Amino acid sequence: MTRIKTVFAWLLALFCLTAFAAEVIPPPPAHYFNDYTGVISPATATQLDRRLEQFERDTSSQIVVAIFPKMQSDSSIEDYTVRVFNSWHVGQKNKNNGAVLFVFIQNRKMFLNTGYGLEGALPDALCKRIIADEITPHFKAGDFNAGLTAGVNAILAATKGEYKGTGQTAAGPGNLEMLGRPSSDLSLFGDYTPTIATSVIFGFFILFIGISIAAGKKGGRGWRASGGSFSSSGWSSSDSWSSSDSGGGFSGGGGSSGGGGAGGSW
Amino acid sequence: MKKIVIIGAVLSVLAVFLLIIVAVTGASYNHLVKLSQGVNSGWAQVQNVYQRRADLIPNLVATVSGAANFEKSTLTEITAARASVGQMKIDPNSAPTDPAKLAAFEKAQGALSSALSRLLVVSERYPDLKASANFRDLQAQLEGTENRISVERGNFNKAVQDYNTAIKSFPEVFYAASFGFTEKPYFTASTGAEQPPAVQFDFNKK
Repeated sequence: MTRIKTVFAWLLALFCLTAFAAEVIPPPPAHYFNDYTGVISPATATQLDRRLEQFERDTSSQIVVAIFPKMQSDSSIEDYTVRVFNSWHVGQKNKNNGAVLFVFIQNRKMFLNTGYGLEGALPDALCKRIIADEITPHFKAGDFNAGLTAGVNAILAATKGEYKGTGQTAAGPGNLEMLGRPSSDLSLFGDYTPTIATSVIFGFFILFIGISIAAGKKGGRGWRASGGSFSSSGWSSSDSWSSSDSGGGFSGGGGSSGGGGAGGSW
Repeated sequence: MKKIVIIGAVLSVLAVFLLIIVAVTGASYNHLVKLSQGVNSGWAQVQNVYQRRADLIPNLVATVSGAANFEKSTLTEITAARASVGQMKIDPNSAPTDPAKLAAFEKAQGALSSALSRLLVVSERYPDLKASANFRDLQAQLEGTENRISVERGNFNKAVQDYNTAIKSFPEVFYAASFGFTEKPYFTASTGAEQPPAVQFDFNKK
């Protein structure tokens, strides 16, 4: 009996493991328009990618399209895509103005996921309309090129006036907020350490003064710093990020999503 | 003369230790405050998305009751569930510390969730209603709101986990309680949430 229980427990453990292993969060995409399946003609893909990149320059909103062969998760599509969205950090950090259109060809499902900052321009009902009225009819007819072109047009039209652009993308040169990291990660200290660090330094400063006073009373030489200037060599900017081409590709600006958007199937 | 030197050294060493202790405690106190505020803002977001759902209901009820012969029992159930949610007196700005209070909140919201999903299932039987643009919009909004609720609940639980871990870690475990940092409750998966709602078509009621 116990044996059966043990076997059962192992099976359960194995099942849990495979259940966890089943979900794959794809790495951040390199472009704005990403076709990992080959259903889109290269010309359309390039053209849409350029438009989406220019759109970020003009409006700072990051709109990304990602077409995957299938969903690598057991969760529901809205649950899975919001996790992927947040791991890609689509949208600018303080505006959260990102949106991602996920398409899973084999599942015949898609989901338009909006960041917090685009929930006003792209409310769920509008996302649903874009998917059901603009994209699905073309997908049903097997024309992915036309479907995605129409979808991107509708998304851009809806989000056009929402934010002002800087003429740059998050991946553009000279921008610290690249690599999809929030800029606070790049600061020298976290938010916890500085107080300790400064206090320890301050403490040693007091100790130093105390000892010097004591030693000074004694009439000794005291402690003197012996030359040697402190040079901060750690932060010489080596500028390893110089982007080689002007089309820097996509890079998340640090935005996040609260699960807005709508999906559909065809 | 020598005595002054020794006293000075001892005093300064003491001062340094005192400073370090105060600074470390102060820093970790600030850290706890920050985590606690994180829990509160997570809670505010949770309230926000639940409120968003509650706000959709009058419109939904109006749309659905316009459909011919729509089941009245489903609608009264929703209206009652929304009313009981509205009666929950719970501070939107600070997360509850009492697990029973959070459980009661969750139970009321759970009743509304199941009433809503029942309504969506029932509405499958009304093709005219389903085809109307108004209902489709509402359905998309409801689905999006449910998704937001699950995201914000997850974020809230994550913030609570960070906070609870911090107050139970060394050295905070020694003084967190005396500063008023007590453990905060989590959202639990609502019982029956994993099962689809049972639908009974009672054609006699109207």
